[in-house]
Order: sequence, then structure tokens, then C-alpha cells
Amino acid sequence: MELIERYIYAVIQKLPQSQREEISIELRGLIQDMLEERVEGRKPTDRDVEEVLQELGNPKNLAGQYRESKNYLIGPELYDSFILVLKVVMITLSIVLAIEFVVQIIIEPMSILEHFIDLIVTVVTVIPTAFGWTAIWFALAEHFSEINPKDLKMEKEWKPSDLPPIPDTKGQIKRTDPIAGIIFYVFLIALFSFSTNYFGVWIFRDGYRGAIPFLNPEANNIFLLFIILILGFGIIKESLKLVYRKWNVQLVVFTAILNVVSFLVVMLMISEPEFWNPTFMNELVQYGVLSEGTEAYQTVHTIWNQSTRWILVFMAIGLIWEIVDGLVKVFRQKK
Amino acid sequence: MSNVNDHLDKLMQELRRGTLTIGVLSQLSEPQYGYSLVTMLGDKGIHVEPGTLYPLLRRLEKQGLLDSKWDTNESRPRKYYLLSKTGKEVYCLLVGEWMGIVDSLNHVIQQKGEEENGAD
Repeated sequence: MELIERYIYAVIQKLPQSQREEISIELRGLIQDMLEERVEGRKPTDRDVEEVLQELGNPKNLAGQYRESKNYLIGPELYDSFILVLKVVMITLSIVLAIEFVVQIIIEPMSILEHFIDLIVTVVTVIPTAFGWTAIWFALAEHFSEINPKDLKMEKEWKPSDLPPIPDTKGQIKRTDPIAGIIFYVFLIALFSFSTNYFGVWIFRDGYRGAIPFLNPEANNIFLLFIILILGFGIIKESLKLVYRKWNVQLVVFTAILNVVSFLVVMLMISEPEFWNPTFMNELVQYGVLSEGTEAYQTVHTIWNQSTRWILVFMAIGLIWEIVDGLVKVFRQKK
Repeated sequence: MSNVNDHLDKLMQELRRGTLTIGVLSQLSEPQYGYSLVTMLGDKGIHVEPGTLYPLLRRLEKQGLLDSKWDTNESRPRKYYLLSKTGKEVYCLLVGEWMGIVDSLNHVIQQKGEEENGAD
């Protein structure tokens, strides 16, 4: 009789908690009924039990019959895009990690072993993290796309004229564009999380190899978090383009939301005086890139001081351009 | 030949899946528990695996076509299923639809047969 309990357990452990108790009572009753019919009054043997369970079949299949809700995180509709994004992210990350390794060796050739260990540690932590984040976003997309079939049921009257037009080439998004975008963002994320100290003006002279960072090396790590967050938004945006494959209103709305949030965060962040490297100009002079008082120094100084404003202006233009471009493509399709 | 059987199996499976619900609903104007239904349907020529029927009963209950009640008086607790009010209405309409399908299919199958006979 122990076999029966094992069978029931095998079925219900694959079912939602709320249904387990009832189904196990039901199954126990069923198996006893089946046994009774089989033995016709004599005492059931272990062999009878085995035969009855055999008749009921693989507990996995039985559990599958009981379970109606879908048991996957990312369904067939999103799977292809998921794999594509994953591939792009993984390949880019590997390349970036390799480049970082090489750069580190160039800067400090003496501690190659240390860098190698760093590389291994980074690979082990970063690759699963990237995989996880990619999967989470796609799983969320899958979860919320579940609502759609119900929406469809609500629309009782469907007209052939409701059919969306086949997107002409103007509205379609070439696969290469978002892929290039994702590569770009992953590259930047890797660069920033590696160290913001290498994001700056590079100097190779007099035996010194290194960079004068644009960003304040002492600044709060919260900035770094925000930068990576915004770059992450960029990846989501590009992934959405990969999923939709054409411009539509939804995509424009998503893009607009992500762009506005990104812009606000960047604006708040780079307006903080702590954000930029306060000794940037001094360091340029110190390493002999510029000498104080020259015209070149004045020009760079002006650019440096005004950079915050101009970055915001260019970013705003870029982000608005993306939305307008998307809108134009949506309306062109509608004609 | 096994190819033909494979096709037949697959098509029969689809056919049964659709018709089983009608069979089940037809027997539930009186309360029945799962295994009694398996035997009842089996006696009437509708073979159904308990592993298919039990989950189907739960689904139909969840959809509101069946009501259920646990009977704990017997030697072992059993869940009895019975057509709900909605279930009765749905069953009546379903039978009407089924008759229509049978008529139309008979019609097209017989017509085909006559044509073939005529050609001989």
C-alpha cells in the first residue's frame, strides 16, 4: 500500500498547494475503487496495486492533466527574441570582459595573475547575473502578455478591416539595429561597472599609462547604480524593438516612458556638482596634456564647464528624435 | 500501414476529446462519483481513462457546469458531481448542436457514398 502513497505524492507534488489535499483524497478513493473492481472480493496483492498504478499511467502525465495553467516562464512567442537577446548580451559581455582583461594587463603587466583571477570571478558572477536579468524581463513580458487573450475575447465583433496592415519596409525595424543597440549598451554597462576611472582621457606618455576620469572617482556609488539602470532601460527598449519588429503605438509609448525616465534621472544626476571629476582640468595640466593660459586650455575649460548642459541638450534631442521617428513610422503604416 | 493507424489514433484522440464532455454531462443528471462514471460510460461503450476523467470533472466544476459534494458517510470519502443549473442548460444546447453535426456529417458522408455508387 506504500506504493499508492508514493504514487499520490508523485502526482500532487507537481500541483498547486491549494489543490493537493482534495486531489490526494480523490486519487486514493479512485485507486481503491480500481483495486476493488480488479480483485472482486479477494485481498489485493502488491501485484494488483502495481497493475492499477500502471493503468493510471505516469504520475507526471496525470499531474499535467490536472494542471491547466501554463508552466513556463517564457513562452514560444517570446522564446526566439529571448534567445536572440541572450546571445547578443552574452557574446558582447564575453568580448567586453576579454577587452577589459587585456586593458588591465597593458596598464599593470606585473599583476597578470591577479587580473586573471579577477577575470574568472567576474565571469562567474557577471554572466549568470546578465542571464538572470534578461530572463526576468522576458518573464515579466510573458506574464503581462497573458492579459491579451482575455482582451481579445471582450471584442465580440471583429471585422476584417480590423486586420493590421502588413508593415511596409518603412515601419519595420531591421534586426541589426536593436542588436547593435544592445551591444552598445552592454559594452557601456561593462565599462562602467568595471571602473568609471577608465572613462576619461587616456594618456600614454613618459611611462605613465592611465586615464584622467571624467567622473568624480570619490563620488557616491549611487551614481554608478543609476547609470547602469539607465543603460539597462536602453537594453529593454532595444529588446522591445526586437520583439515587436515594427513600430506601433505600444512600442512608441514604452519608448517614450523609458526615455522620459532616463532623461530625468540623467538630469538630476549630472546636475549634482559631485558627479564630475572636480580636478579634471588640473589633472590635464598636471600630466602635460594642456598648459594653463593657452587658447587650447581655455577652449577645453569652456567645453568642460558647459558639458552638463550640452549633454542634456543632445540627449534630449536624441530621445525626442527616437519618439518622433517612431510616431512618424506608425502613422505612415496607417495610411 | 502503421502510418495509417498513427493518423487514425491522432484523429480519434481529437474526436474523443471533444465528445467526452457531452458523454460526461449526459450522465450527471444524477450525482455520480468519478469511478462510477468511468464504469457507467465504459458499460455504454465510451471508454475513458480515469486519469482523463478526474481532471475533466474538476475543470467542468471550476467552469461552473458541475456542482460537487463530498460524501463522507461511506467507507471512503467520495466526491459526487452533479449538473449545475448552468450545466443543464449548456448540456441541452450542446445536444442540439451535436444532433446538427451528426445530421450534416451523415448527409455529406452518404452523399459521397451515393456519388461513388453512381460512378460504378
